[in-house]
Amino acid sequence: MGAVLAIIIGRMVYLNGINDRFGTAYFGRAFIESLKLGSLYALIALGYTMVYGIIRLINFAHGEVFMVGAFLTYFLFTLSPYPWYVALLYSVFIAYGFMRILEFFRGNLRDPVVLGGGALMLMFATFMLSTQTVNLIIALVFSMLLTGVLGILIDRVAYAPLRTAPRNSLLITAIAVSFFLQNFGLLVFTNRQTPFRPDTLITNPLTIGGISSNWLLVAIPVITAILVVALTMFVTRTRLGKAMRASAQDAETAQMMGVSVNRVIATTFLLGSMLAAAGGAMWGLNFGSLNQPAVMGILPGIKAFAAAVIGGIGSLPGAVIGAMVIGFSENFLTAVFPRTNNFLGITEFKDTFAFILLIIVLLIRPSGIVGEDLSEKV
Amino acid sequence: MASVSQRIDARTQELAFPRHRGRNILLTLGGLLALVIILWFLEGLGSSKLNQALALFAIWGVATVSLNLVNGTLGILSLGHHGFMLIGGYTTGLLILSETARDRILSSGRSSMNETTLGLSLSRGLDLIGLDALTTPETLWIRFVIAVLVGGVVAAIAGLIVGIPSLRLRGDYLAIVTFGFGEIIRLSASTRIFAPLTNGALGLPGIPSEFGKSVWWTFGFLAITVFIISKLKYSSYGRAMEGIREDEIAAEAMGVNLAYHKVLGFAISAFFAGIAGGLWVSWLGGVRLDFFLFTLTFFFLVALSAGGTGSITGVLLGTALVVFVRQYGDPLEETYALATWLIIAGVTLLLAAAATYLYRTFQRQRPRMHPAVYGLGIVGLIAVLVGWLAPNLGILDGTFRGFGMRAIFLSVLLIVIMIFRPEGIVGRREFNWGALFGERPDQPTDEERKQDAWLSNAQLNRPGGAAAAEAVAEVQAEVPGKPLLETGDEPVEAEDK
Amino acid sequence: MLEIENLSKSFGGLKAMNDVSLNVGKGEIVSVIGPNGAGKTTLFNLITGVYQPSAGDVRFEGQSIVGKKPSQIVNLGVARTFQNLRLFTNLTVLENVLIPQHYKLHSTWLSSVFRTPGYRKKEREMREYAIDKLAFFGPRLMSFRLHQPVYVLSYANRRRTEMARAMATGAKLLLLDEPSAGMNPKETREITQIIRRMRDEGGYTILLVEHKMNLVGEISDRVVVLDYGEKIAEGSYKEVVNDPKVIEAYLGKKAEGEEETEIQKAAKMDGRSSE
Repeated sequence: MGAVLAIIIGRMVYLNGINDRFGTAYFGRAFIESLKLGSLYALIALGYTMVYGIIRLINFAHGEVFMVGAFLTYFLFTLSPYPWYVALLYSVFIAYGFMRILEFFRGNLRDPVVLGGGALMLMFATFMLSTQTVNLIIALVFSMLLTGVLGILIDRVAYAPLRTAPRNSLLITAIAVSFFLQNFGLLVFTNRQTPFRPDTLITNPLTIGGISSNWLLVAIPVITAILVVALTMFVTRTRLGKAMRASAQDAETAQMMGVSVNRVIATTFLLGSMLAAAGGAMWGLNFGSLNQPAVMGILPGIKAFAAAVIGGIGSLPGAVIGAMVIGFSENFLTAVFPRTNNFLGITEFKDTFAFILLIIVLLIRPSGIVGEDLSEKV
Repeated sequence: MASVSQRIDARTQELAFPRHRGRNILLTLGGLLALVIILWFLEGLGSSKLNQALALFAIWGVATVSLNLVNGTLGILSLGHHGFMLIGGYTTGLLILSETARDRILSSGRSSMNETTLGLSLSRGLDLIGLDALTTPETLWIRFVIAVLVGGVVAAIAGLIVGIPSLRLRGDYLAIVTFGFGEIIRLSASTRIFAPLTNGALGLPGIPSEFGKSVWWTFGFLAITVFIISKLKYSSYGRAMEGIREDEIAAEAMGVNLAYHKVLGFAISAFFAGIAGGLWVSWLGGVRLDFFLFTLTFFFLVALSAGGTGSITGVLLGTALVVFVRQYGDPLEETYALATWLIIAGVTLLLAAAATYLYRTFQRQRPRMHPAVYGLGIVGLIAVLVGWLAPNLGILDGTFRGFGMRAIFLSVLLIVIMIFRPEGIVGRREFNWGALFGERPDQPTDEERKQDAWLSNAQLNRPGGAAAAEAVAEVQAEVPGKPLLETGDEPVEAEDK
Repeated sequence: MLEIENLSKSFGGLKAMNDVSLNVGKGEIVSVIGPNGAGKTTLFNLITGVYQPSAGDVRFEGQSIVGKKPSQIVNLGVARTFQNLRLFTNLTVLENVLIPQHYKLHSTWLSSVFRTPGYRKKEREMREYAIDKLAFFGPRLMSFRLHQPVYVLSYANRRRTEMARAMATGAKLLLLDEPSAGMNPKETREITQIIRRMRDEGGYTILLVEHKMNLVGEISDRVVVLDYGEKIAEGSYKEVVNDPKVIEAYLGKKAEGEEETEIQKAAKMDGRSSE
C-alpha cells in the first residue's frame, strides 16, 4: 500500500517537473473528480453489497436498475406534465414506494400513518406530474421511489421463487433479468444516446481555487454522503434496519425470532435500488448524457460490483471504501499517467483494469478490505 | 473372493456392463446416414435463410455442447465462453485471411496492424516450410481446417489459464471470475497491446465464408464435437467430473484429482469454443470485436438451461430454439401499430396459457385449469379483442418498433424456466438407442417384482417354493404388522416382544 | 498399518485434538468412541488429509501421510465414509462405485474418448470390481438398483452404498464414520455382520467411529475412547466400558459416597449384553 502511494507521489512530482500543466490545479481537480466518481460508484455498490449480504446473490441486474433510475429521472423531468391517467399510474407506484419507506419507522404497512402518507403522496405526485414540468429534485425523488419499487418487483417475480434453489440457478436468473431490463430499456426508452443537460442550479459553473467545473463537483459527493448517512441511520436505528442486519447474519434464526425475512429482503432491494437510481441520475448529469439502455449500466455495474468485493462484500462501509478505491484508480491514476509526447496514456486500459483488480481481489483476498471469512465447513 | 462372486446373479452381470454395442453402432451409423439425407434434402430446398440457420445451429451447437462440459458435467458456472470464441475466431481469421484482404487492410492507412502481424498468414507459413502445394486456392479448405484447429489450440491454452481460479474458488465468485476473464479478453483485444493482431475496432473483413455457411462443414464439425464430448462424458473421466459436480469433497475423498479434472474440463471446453469461434467468423464473413459480446454467452446459457444441462440431446434442442428465435425472430422487431402489438401480446399470453394447461395435463398435475392458466388466458383474450376491435382507441393510436424483442423473449423464457423447470425441457435424460427398445435398466423385471420380498432379505434369496414361503412368514413374524408387498397373505399376528 | 503419533490440531484458540496417539494393526477392527464433540470426526479428517495437524504425525504402512491431499491418501490405500453421507446423489449406484476406481485408471482422457482396447478392458475390470463390492450387501444393491440414482434409495441402502464406495477405492484401511447411524436394530445387526465379513473375507483393516455399544462390543478387537480431543482410555471392550474415566465422560462423576445410580447400572448392563 505504502509503495503504491510512493510511486504515485513520485510520479506526480515527475510530471510537475516536465510540464507546468501538471500543477496543483490539475491534480487537485483529478482528486475531486475521483471523489465524485467514487461517490457515484458507492451508490451502486451499496446495493450490491446489501443484497449479497442477505441472500448471497450477486445481483447482475443491479447495473440495469441504475440505468432505469437514470432514464426515469430524465423522462420525469423532460416529459412532464403528463396526461392525468399516466400521472396517476406513476403516482400509484411512487406512493407505494413511499409507503414502504414509512414502514421503516412505523413497522407495519397497515399503520394509519403509513396509509395516510401514501394517500398524500399519491395526491401530491399526481398533481405534480400532471400540472407542471417537475423540477430536477422532485424528478429525482420520484425516480428513486419508482426504481425502488422496481427493485422490489424484480425480487418478488424472479428471485423470491428461487430462495431454496442452488446458487447457480439464481445467478443465471439474475443474468436473465439483466438482459431483460437492457432490452426493455431499448424497447421502451430509446435506442440512442440521450443528451441530458438540464439548465438548473447544479449544472451551473463553479470555480474553486483555479479548478473550473460545475456545482455537480460538490453536489455529488454531498448528496451521496447524505444518502449514505441516511442509509446507515435506517440500518442501525430502525427496527426494520436491525432486522436487516440480523437476517444478513443468520436468516434462519432471524426468522425464528419473528423477523419476516421476505419483507426484509424486499426492503433491501428497495433501498439498494433507490440509491442506484440516485447514482444513475447524477451519473447522467455528470457526463451530460445517458448512454443507450443496453449499454449504460454494464460497465458501471461491474465496476461497482468490483468495488463492493474489494471493500468487503456484505459490508456497507466496505462498499464505500471499495468504491473510492475504484474511483480513484480509474480517475486519478489516469491523471497520473496521462498522455504525453512519449507515452500514450492508460485511458484505454481503464475498464480492463477494473476487471483485473476484481479477479485479483477474488483470488487473493475474497473477503475484501473489511469483510468476513466465507469458507465452507466440511 | 470366490464366495462373493457366486452371489452375483445373472441379471446383475447383464446390467453392469454396456450391452448391445454392435447394435448401437449400427443404429448410430444409420442415424448419421439419415441425418445426411435430411440435410441434403433441406439444402436442396435452396433457401439460403434456412441453410444459414442450419449452419448457425451447428456452429452454436459446438459452442453450447462444449460449454455444457463445464457448466453441466463439471457443475462449474462458466460465463466466459465468448472470450474463448473470440480467441479462436481471431486466430482463425488472422491465419486464413486472403492476401487481397490483407493488402486492403495495409493500404487503408487506418489500421493498427503492421507488416509483421499481417504476415501471419497460414499460406505464407506453409510456403516457408515447403508445403506450397497447400497454398493454392483449391486447397483453401485444408488451410481452413488447420486455421480452425490452431484457433482451438490457442483458445485451449486460454482455457487452461482460466481454469486455474477454479481450484480456489467456488460457485458465484468463480462464475464472476470467468465472466471477468471473458470481458478482459474482449476489452484488451482492442487496446494497443493486441490491436496489431486484431486490427482493433476495424476488425478483419473478408474471411472466406463458404465453410461457415456450409451445412456440411458445420455439421461435420458438430458431429465430431458431439462424438468427443459425449464419449468423454460417458467415460470414467466424465463420471469423475460429475462426481466433482455432485460433491467435490466426497470426490476428492474417493481419489479424484480435482485440479486435473477441472483444468482439463476448461481446456477441452475452450478448445471447442475456439473451433466454434473460427466457424462463427467464417459464417459472418469477417471478424469484429462486437461479434463476441457477453450476449453470446447469454444465448448459450438460455440454450443450456432451456434444453437441459444434464444431457447433450437437451443442449442441442435448446440451441435449436435459440437459433430459431435469432434467425427467424426479426419480424418481431419491426414497427407495427400499437393495436397489433396488443394482439401479439394477447396471443402470446393465450399460447402461454395453453402451454401451461398442456404441461399440467402431461405431468398429471391437478387442477389443470390453475388460476394462472385462467388469468393468462383471460388477459390474453381481452388484449386480442381490444386490439382487434378498437385499434384507434386513445393511446393505441400510434406505432411502435419492437427493438430487442428477441432478447426480451429469451430472457423472459430463461426466467420462467429457472423458476418452473430448471432442469430444462429434457432434464437429465439422454437420447439412447436402448430407450427406443423400451429397455429400462433401472426397473425390476416382472420376475424380480414378484420376488420383491426376497430382495430385502438375504436369508430368503434361495430358489423357489415352499421353503421360501416359510421364510417369508418367519420375517413377517419378526417385523410385526406390516405385510410384505402384494403377496396377498394376511399379516401375521405379532408376538409380544 | 496405521500409526498416529502425538497428533494435535488447533483451530485458532480451540484445541480440537491434543496429543493423541494410537496404532491400528493390519487386519484389526478398532473402534473409536466418545461423547459427541470429542473429536472423532476430526480424527478422521486429520488422517484423510482434510485437515492438516498442528503437531504430530500420521503414518500409513510406515510412510508419513501428513500434508498430502485427500486424493493422494486414497492412492496410498486409505478410504473413508462420512458421518452425514456424502454420496453423489444424482448419479446411479453403479456410477457411485465406479468413480472411486477412476484414480487407478491409467488411460488418458483421449484413449477413453476413443475407447481404445486398453481402456475398454480397464472399464470392464472396474465394473467387475464394482459389482463385487456391491455384492457384499447381498441382493440389495444388485440388478436394477445398479442404474437407479441414489436419491431413490432408502436411507439404509444409501449407507451401504457409501460403504461399498469406500471399498471400491481398493483401499486397505477403511475409516467408517458411524456406519450404523439411523439404522434400526435389525439393520444394525446386518451391518455388524458385514463389517466383520469385510475384515474376514475382504481383508480390510477397519477403524470405526460408533455410538452403538452393542455394535462396538461385538466386533471390535480394541476400543479407543476420546473425550475433549484427548485419548482417555484404550483396551478391549470390557476393559474400556468399566473404566471409571470413560463412565465419567459419558455420564458424569459419581458424587462422594453416592450409590451407583440406576443409569450407571443400566449402562453396565448395556455394555455386557450382546443385544
